[in-house]
Amino acid sequence: MTEIRFAILDEDAKKEIRRALLKAVSLPGYIVPFASREMPVARGWGTGGMQITLSIIVEEDVLKVIDQGCDGSVNAVNIRDFIVAATGVETSAHTDEASLIQTRHRIPERPLTEEQILVFQVPYPEVLTTVEPDTGRQKQIHAHREYSRLWVLLYEDTAQFGESRISNRYPVEVNGHFVMDPSPIPRYDIPRLDNNPALLLFGAGREKRIYAIPPYTRVKPLVFEDRPFLVESFPGQCCERCGANNVFLDEVHGEDGVHYFCSDTDYCDNHQKRTDHAA
Amino acid sequence: MSYVAVKGGIDAIRASRSLYRKMLAGGFFGDEAPHPTQLLAIDRIMSEGALYSQQLARQAIDEAGGDLLEAAFYLRAHRSTCRRAGVADPIETGDIRCMRRISATFKDIVGGQVLGPSSDYLVKLFSREQPDGEYCPPGSAQTPVQRLPSALGELRKQGMIMVPEVYEESPFDITRYSPQSPYPRSALMQMMARGETGAMLAFAYTSMRGYGDVHPTIGDLRLGMAEVTCTHPFTGNRVRVGEIRVTAVETVGAFKKDPADGKLRLATGFGFCFGFNETKAIAMSILDLALTYPGYSIGESGPAASSEMIMHHIDGVESMGFTNHFKLPHYVTFQADLQTYARAKKHHD
Repeated sequence: MTEIRFAILDEDAKKEIRRALLKAVSLPGYIVPFASREMPVARGWGTGGMQITLSIIVEEDVLKVIDQGCDGSVNAVNIRDFIVAATGVETSAHTDEASLIQTRHRIPERPLTEEQILVFQVPYPEVLTTVEPDTGRQKQIHAHREYSRLWVLLYEDTAQFGESRISNRYPVEVNGHFVMDPSPIPRYDIPRLDNNPALLLFGAGREKRIYAIPPYTRVKPLVFEDRPFLVESFPGQCCERCGANNVFLDEVHGEDGVHYFCSDTDYCDNHQKRTDHAA
Repeated sequence: MSYVAVKGGIDAIRASRSLYRKMLAGGFFGDEAPHPTQLLAIDRIMSEGALYSQQLARQAIDEAGGDLLEAAFYLRAHRSTCRRAGVADPIETGDIRCMRRISATFKDIVGGQVLGPSSDYLVKLFSREQPDGEYCPPGSAQTPVQRLPSALGELRKQGMIMVPEVYEESPFDITRYSPQSPYPRSALMQMMARGETGAMLAFAYTSMRGYGDVHPTIGDLRLGMAEVTCTHPFTGNRVRVGEIRVTAVETVGAFKKDPADGKLRLATGFGFCFGFNETKAIAMSILDLALTYPGYSIGESGPAASSEMIMHHIDGVESMGFTNHFKLPHYVTFQADLQTYARAKKHHD
């Protein structure tokens, strides 16, 4: 077997993905098809994000990979090990040290900067899938910005349950134009997409789609004017480890009852350090 | 090897069984032969993995502990590291050196019914006995491989078979461009050539038994060796790359008005894959028939006639990958689910 090249993908593939990325950045929220390659991890396990990361990564990058907010999660460990083996780049668990962050299901708690790129792993890139599975008709709906069926979906839920049942992958309008699937991040992370200084890139390997939110772009959840957009909250709870009470918490059911911990482990470590210093 | 009528083919059937056992005993395909009892597994994953390499396929089966979905995935992952060297010349099915070629449309065809090595005529009971031994019927050809015209050639010559209009200058390549609806036929064909055998079989089966109206007749099924050639990128000469095992099949469907001239013609579907895999090739030809001529069928709206359905749901690496990803943690999304559930419950109950 030949020696593995830098970032494993052949150069034509990288070029193609970079071109798709440029188009995606130019048209915020627009879904760009690309010829997804198989990665040594199965499609559906983050290969879209991985292909973006491998196409844009350079030797100077410091890489952070998280799953559910955690650097130590199996998926994050696998992907990080693989990218390091294929590139030799430095890694860090600290959000502020990383130049390139690949994530599944979360946005780090610490605000991102203009110097950072956040790459999302995406299972369902098409926000319309639940209301229109035909990809040809999906394109027409986006072209006409005819999102009434999404609104009907939201309305039906609101009429029955008081609000939409969509807990994650909540539809967002990007730059006042396309409606987009933000990947399965919780509602808590939706407002944090808005006007974010970092470049946000989304890759769906199995579905062969790439899209993007450029820095400082308006991102709004699809909600009725007279209804508030409710996000997850944990009233009366704080992280048992670091004491943080204004972040997304993991609920852990133990024999001795329910415990709460920060979902973002790096945030938790830092917050604990700061608390220790203060004490 | 050949037999004139389906009756009286006892000699041919005994020879076919003998040949099949010989194929699984090894040495049948020359020095490159892989582990012979894994032959059809290797063929299946070379096709689903979209990479013709018997050595790597065998290695993949070992790495995957015999899980063929996983083994095909090894081949696909390896492909991603390889730069494209060039594009091979089209393979003419008439040039395939056939080891087996049968037709269900006519009793007698040019070149005869060649049973070749097949498990079709075996009694599926565990047995160490090999009653046919090294059976070679009297008067049969010494070499089991030969070039044969399509059994549908005569019908085609008489203008009885529909020729689909080709809108594409060159075939679509789904490995370089993500296909967009409406899908060109070549994109669907490529997807199916790489498709997972079981998935394609299930979709094809729906169209045969209730969710479609495809009554296929196998016009020409052939298994054999196809020569692969290409134009050398530097010298510009036509060079022979090697020879591959392939399966090709044409099935005949219903007839309808040909939009080209309004005359009645028969529709056909085509199936083709790496290696010997009759089930997959036949399923592909049925799906091609259902997709290309949906108007020929009352089951136009059945799943097998939906290009969206076939394009996105027959790839083993994709469907297996996504199914298994549900083992990954979903703490965050489930936490979010529980909170919307709690709020809805409060509102509703």
